[in-house]
Amino acid sequence: MIEFRNISKSFGDTLVVPDLNLTIARGEFCVLIGPSGSGKSTILKMINRLVEHTSGEIDFAGEPIRSFPPEVLRRRIGYAIQSVGLFPHWTVEANIATVPRLLGWDAARIQARITDLLRLLNLDAARFRSSYPHQLSGGQQQRVGVARALAADPDVLLMDEPFGALDPITRDSLQAEMTRIHAETGKTIVFVTHDMDEALRLASRVVILDKGRIVQAASPSDILNAPANDFVRAFLGKDDYGLKLLSVETVGDRMRPQISAMEKDSVLPSDNLRLALSRMVVLKSDRIGVRDEAGAPVGTLYLSDVVS
Amino acid sequence: MAVARPRRLGWPRFLAALAVFVTLLLVLPYSGPLFAALFPDLDRPLYQQQSFVSLVVAHLWLVVAAALTATVFGIGAGVFVTRPQGREFRRLIETLSAMGQTFPPVAVLALSVPVIGFGFWPAFIALALYGILPISENTIAGLESVDPAAKEAAEGIGMTGWQRLLQIELPLAAPIILAGVRTSVTINIGTAAIASTVGAISLGSPIIIGLNGNNIAYVIQGAVLVSGLAIVVDMGFGVLSQRIGQWKSGQA
Repeated sequence: MIEFRNISKSFGDTLVVPDLNLTIARGEFCVLIGPSGSGKSTILKMINRLVEHTSGEIDFAGEPIRSFPPEVLRRRIGYAIQSVGLFPHWTVEANIATVPRLLGWDAARIQARITDLLRLLNLDAARFRSSYPHQLSGGQQQRVGVARALAADPDVLLMDEPFGALDPITRDSLQAEMTRIHAETGKTIVFVTHDMDEALRLASRVVILDKGRIVQAASPSDILNAPANDFVRAFLGKDDYGLKLLSVETVGDRMRPQISAMEKDSVLPSDNLRLALSRMVVLKSDRIGVRDEAGAPVGTLYLSDVVS
Repeated sequence: MAVARPRRLGWPRFLAALAVFVTLLLVLPYSGPLFAALFPDLDRPLYQQQSFVSLVVAHLWLVVAAALTATVFGIGAGVFVTRPQGREFRRLIETLSAMGQTFPPVAVLALSVPVIGFGFWPAFIALALYGILPISENTIAGLESVDPAAKEAAEGIGMTGWQRLLQIELPLAAPIILAGVRTSVTINIGTAAIASTVGAISLGSPIIIGLNGNNIAYVIQGAVLVSGLAIVVDMGFGVLSQRIGQWKSGQA
């Protein structure tokens, strides 16, 4: 879907990205992560030409991005940023309708699309449709920001630290939304963050960057189980490294099929092991029941299986 | 409710002030006996060279023509120097308009007379030049006050430069730009009175003639109408600026 070939980027005399090669496949949830100055935002913005690359070629849907006028390219690529940037003088619905309107959709189609998107982002249409951005909380604003980015059904969604300014609870719920939206829509998402937990939680592939170079690009569990070097290890952190390992594996992978009648609490097979461990600690128990979404018991998870 | 109160009162207050002004304008021609009583020494206590209505029309015409010109050039200059291609002209434009502002309008009038002659045009040019600065300054300030995140988002989702300017930047800067136009117009309503010194017809005519001929009644008649006009127009701008910033109070 997006291919960087021998991309370099300099700002004046400063070389920010020396030689980048990266292919992002259709439907991938690709998270770019790195410390400040690692070039992650620059790389993201080169995709929609907010930053022009210095040399090399970037292909979008098989064609060089410079073969599109910037506006045409950008209307096919959703864009959501940390500071959200809703237009304060427009209602929520007018904000969401921006790109469809630029593309000349008819009014009925735009209205239908707004309704779908408000539902997708769990925003109450009756309450928010005619509200102005300043009447919304930070989390609600970013939901509208994501809806606006998705409005014209773009092939790709670019997100530049979209949840970085939100409180942990709101961030957690929006991360859950993104996972769901990615699963429901199958969009190609390129997401920039500096938060490793966020990257491991959301990504189908994590691209770790340092000084404009790719240090490691792999699935979350590969990154955790086989960090490429000390830089990656340092980035993963020492103290809660074990918990990060647990966070990328699900209960379903480790549970035993036996069903115990004694369980006091239960987790879902799709929950991660970190959450299951936390529940066991609260229960002061070395085991926890596993039930499916309908509530039927399907197995038991033992502490020894979690740590083995 | 503290926010809603001026909104409710804006329109009625403006209409009331307008009604008072129009009444004053219509009654003034019949106020000869009043001024005769106040100033018994004057032979002609009521200004009658032109009707007061025609003076107000001429005055407004001068101010509106100059304000429209100043608005076009002021907003144009403000927009130009905030675009990438005009950025380097910003200091120049700011210096030029600040210099224009330090010239007293009387000096501009005096300088333009030998070039253009007497009448409407020198007055128009002085007022238009004088009115540009508050508008260009406020246009720059207004455009710079637009949230950079909104500008980045507008660009990132595929608006062209013109679309960003017309749909996002200017509407968001509008309240500040309007405040500049308001300042410009209010100052110029007063300044236009001086234009009568170079032969333009305005509400300054009775004032200038009154000062020359030691006729205080003329001066009062002109001054009352000029200040009344300034107040009414300023209140009109007040109503307009409430309408333009309405999204801030969250009502569509």
